[in-house]
Amino acid sequence: MAGQSRKDQLHFTIQHVADVSTSRRAGMQMAINMGFAHADATKIAVVISELARNILIYARTGTIIVKEHRGLDGKRGIKIIADDNGPGIPFLDKALTEGYTTSGGLGLGLSGSKRLMDEFYIHSEVGKGTNVTAVKWLNK
Amino acid sequence: MDSSGSTQKLENLLLVAVPRDLMDDEVIELRREILQAIRRHGSQVVLLDFSRVDICDSFFGRFIYTTSKMVELMGAKVIISGLQDVVIETMVELGMTLPDVDAVLDLDDALALSRSLSRQYNHLNETAPPDGDIADEE
Repeated sequence: MAGQSRKDQLHFTIQHVADVSTSRRAGMQMAINMGFAHADATKIAVVISELARNILIYARTGTIIVKEHRGLDGKRGIKIIADDNGPGIPFLDKALTEGYTTSGGLGLGLSGSKRLMDEFYIHSEVGKGTNVTAVKWLNK
Repeated sequence: MDSSGSTQKLENLLLVAVPRDLMDDEVIELRREILQAIRRHGSQVVLLDFSRVDICDSFFGRFIYTTSKMVELMGAKVIISGLQDVVIETMVELGMTLPDVDAVLDLDDALALSRSLSRQYNHLNETAPPDGDIADEE
């Protein structure tokens, strides 16, 4: 579900499996429109996909925002913000370890997404929810 | 030619066109369709064609893994083809490895591989002949 409030910002409510494909496709298109190379736009789409799936699996519902981002030095990038009010991540260091999973998946979602982006921050509180913010710069 | 849904028989090969956006319920359905088609056609090799897929997240990796394990239990083998360059780059950086799954460039290579597997299989059957004296001919 896309409620596109501004030209440079996409907002998605993640509730159904279909929202995963809608958000990653729109995010990929935005990255291409911004001038990202096809390979980098693909990586951005995969990260949106992983974060949206995590929301569905662990929190059932949440939001993903994809927007243009400016660094302090003026450089352009794309920012992904994934937010939910789910159970939170009790062992954050484990969750970022490759192969660790509590859902029966491959355990690559978070560790792999971190590798695909330039900046990656997780804030999680048990019982309150999880926020993941990730940035990829256009010209490094 | 026998085809149903997204699977299609070619010699001892079962061609599977993996949809662009593979969703959870479709995965279960597609896997069942593959297993049924293997039994129906006696396929020895299942070729998962990824040429339509442009975004491959870890969910796809899990689909390939579980499908190959199930296919193995039916005595057949999964190979994959058609992975786009950017998909490969992203998969590897994401950390996705696919042990025990062979990849080929295109359908030609897939056919060559399945024919050579078929020869090996027939050879095995010849060295350990069945009770009957008539060879299985298609």
